[in-house]
This record gives sequence, C-alpha cells and structure tokens, in this order.
Amino acid sequence: MERDIEQLNSALNSVKILRSNVRRVFESVSNGLRADHGDDGKENKFILELQELLTTVNNNLRDVENSVSNLTPPSGPFSLGNTTYLSQETTQERQALYGQLVNSYKWTDKIREYSAVAGNILAANSFNKTYKTFSTTKRRKTQTSNHNVPPEVIENLITSIDRLFTDVTITTNRPFVPNPVIQASLGRVLKAIIAFKGLMIEWVIVKAHAESNDLWSESRYKVFRKVTENCHAAMCHFHSPMMPELAVRSFMVVYCYIFFVFLKMYKK
Amino acid sequence: MGVTILTQFPTENRTGPQTIDVLSKRIMALGAIQQGQFLVDCETYTSVQQLGPQRTVHVLHNSEQPATVFSLLETGTKTIPLATDGLFDLLMMKMSSFYTSKKQTKAESKGPRYEIGDFCVKLGTVTVSSNFKGILVEVEYRPCVVPAMCWDLLKEFLQGFLGLSGPTNPPAYLQNRMQEIYSPIDTIHQYLEHFTLFRKSPVEANVN
Repeated sequence: MERDIEQLNSALNSVKILRSNVRRVFESVSNGLRADHGDDGKENKFILELQELLTTVNNNLRDVENSVSNLTPPSGPFSLGNTTYLSQETTQERQALYGQLVNSYKWTDKIREYSAVAGNILAANSFNKTYKTFSTTKRRKTQTSNHNVPPEVIENLITSIDRLFTDVTITTNRPFVPNPVIQASLGRVLKAIIAFKGLMIEWVIVKAHAESNDLWSESRYKVFRKVTENCHAAMCHFHSPMMPELAVRSFMVVYCYIFFVFLKMYKK
Repeated sequence: MGVTILTQFPTENRTGPQTIDVLSKRIMALGAIQQGQFLVDCETYTSVQQLGPQRTVHVLHNSEQPATVFSLLETGTKTIPLATDGLFDLLMMKMSSFYTSKKQTKAESKGPRYEIGDFCVKLGTVTVSSNFKGILVEVEYRPCVVPAMCWDLLKEFLQGFLGLSGPTNPPAYLQNRMQEIYSPIDTIHQYLEHFTLFRKSPVEANVN
C-alpha cells in the first residue's frame, strides 16, 4: 500500500515535469529569435536551443512511461454504488456530500480494521463478566447470579471490608437499591469511588481528596489518573464470576497496597 | 489547590533576568511547559494615631486567585487573615483617612509560570517599589492538600532543579501546620514573610 502510493506520487511528479518542459518548448517557439541570440548565426543558435528543449521533453516522456509501467493497476473496480453519481451533482449545496461520504467510507474502514484487531486481542484474553460453561458433562453446577443478590449480602460484604481495613474509611450511598456506590477514602490523600453491580465491581475511579465525588469524570491530576488505570487493571485481573466476594476483597487489598506504595513515594 | 512551597533563590553576582533565564532553562529541560505569567503583589497600610495602638494591614493579590483579595491584619499580638472579593480594594480606598499606605512599600513578585506534570512552578522577580530585590521560586504540588504528606516529594523536586540552594526544611510558617489542610491563604502568608524580609534588606547593586 505504502509503496503503491509512493509510485503513484513519483508518476504524478514526472507528469508535472513533462508538462512544465513542454510549456518551455512552446514558449521558446512563440518567442522566436531573441536579442540574446546575438547577431552571428542566430538561427543556428535558436535551432540548437530548440533541439535541447526537445531532448529534455523526450527524456521526460520516457520517465513518465517508466513510472506508469511501474504502477500496479487496482485488482477490481472500485464499487461505490450509486454514490459515484454524487460527484456529478450540479447543485451547489449537494456537492459537499461527496467529500463527507468518502470520509465516512474511510472511517468505516478504520472501524473494521480496529475491531478486527480488538477482536483478536479479546479472544486471547477473556474478561468475561458472565460465567459460562462449555462443558458437556452431565454434572453441571448451578449457575449463580451475581447481578441479582439480596441487598443484605452486599451490605455484609461492605461492612466486613470496612472492618478488615482500618485505614480505609468507607461511606456508602445507594442511588439504586441493589447497586451501592461506595467511596473508600485513604488518609487525606486519595479516595476511590467504586460502583457495584450486584456483588461485582462495575466501575472504579480514583481522585484526590479535594476533588468532587462525581463517578463519571476523571481526576484532574496525572498521578491519580495513573492510579485509576492500575485499579482498572486490578479490577479486571481479580474478576472472578464464581467467587465475587473474594474478587472484591482481593481488589481492596490491591487498592490498599497501591496506596502504601504511593505514600512511600511521597515520603522518601 | 495543592501544597505550595516558596523559597528564595540566591542571585550570586547575576542580574535578575539572567537568574530567571538560568532557572527557566533548567525547568524547561525537565519537560515543563510555560503557561503564561503570574503576579503576586502586596501593599501595606498602617492605621493613623487617632485609632489607638498602631495596626498594620497587608493587602495582597495573587493571579492564581484573580477574584480574591487577601488581607492580613497585624494587631501586634496576633495576625488576622481575611479573604474577600475584589471590592475590598475599594473599601481600603474609602478608609484612606484611617489607614494610610506607606510610600515605597509596594512589593511584587512576577514572572513566568510553568506546568510540569502535576507540579506548577513560578519563577518570580521580586521588586519593592520597583527596585529589584531578589528571586522567589514557588512550587505547587496540586494533587495533595496535606503538607506533611508531600513535603519530602516537594523537597526532592525543589532540590532537583535548584541544586544546593533548595530548601532542607519546610518554611517556618508551615512547620506547625504540617498536618492541616492547606489553603490559598497559607501561600499568601509565605509571600508576606518573604516580602517583609526583602523590604528590610538593602537595595541590591544590580538594579534592573
């Protein structure tokens, strides 16, 4: 692809050079004899000049032919459907449509490319949020739902975490009854806002102590954006649909660990 | 709003602009990006004799908090800080018969402002009634609000680009407030301390 474009570019360039030299020939012919040809043998000088120019044109023509033969013709016709006629549209206000259409083609192409890459990566690393068994054995375990658990279970989990980590101050609020959003503050330095979906951690964002509790906006500070990234990685890594409580607990351990590394960095 | 450390940088036979140039080259080499200019100014008013024991009011403006006027009232026994909006300047003008400003005391620190990651660095040239007095370097670490938590980090950063002239201890004003939440008025206190020192110091030879 890259090479094709390069060759096309060089072909266009040689056409440009050819055109400019042909123009010089006609210019010279139309000017005829000039003062700078002098008096003695001015005709001969003029003919020599013309010959030189024609040789250049010949050479340029050869270059054009060479570069054209290097080009690879596209394998099939470009099928743009009815939209090709858009370029022939005569009304002023619709002419802009063609450009936009070409752009949207480009974007859909890019999306296809990226989704193929993303598909490959996701196939290799599974971050499934639902537990599926593909085994055909008869001893199937009952599939537990982690999305729909009684609020008391989540309540117990949060209380136990609160007791487990003395450095963490946890405040809970419930915009929707089964899905609490907890705010875990560590010291007066940072806080994590964790949204649960049933027993699973759905969303984590880490912010500075002084920032707002908004779940959807990122932290203003680079350092907390980095910590948020690490927390996301921890959340995905410890995610286990079979043992959601363990997943939450492991996540909290990592969160505390990140915090202590952070303090260490602050206080050398 | 994070924790701010203000420190003086010795000029060592250089003129003010030369020193600023040296420091800005150092900070740019670390990857900082210049984000405009800053200005902190201070005007001092003293009460007239009819009002009893003399009191001093320092009125300061900081370009970082452009809509706020900070004032510190010194009664002799204690200092009362006050953060108000811009109208306070007009109020001081109304009170000019009770509080008069001493001539030759307007101090200001101005210069370029840089951002580097979560740090904000300001290199200020200090002038007292337009005489050059010295260089003040202000470094703010914005994510943290408790001085004790980030003092070591700030010290390391300051020593990293000021070399041996970087501070080894927290500013005197902050020393007994290390565990408290930092606020803009604390920066103003630090500026006032330095301005007071600069006012007492003799005029340097290299006036710019």
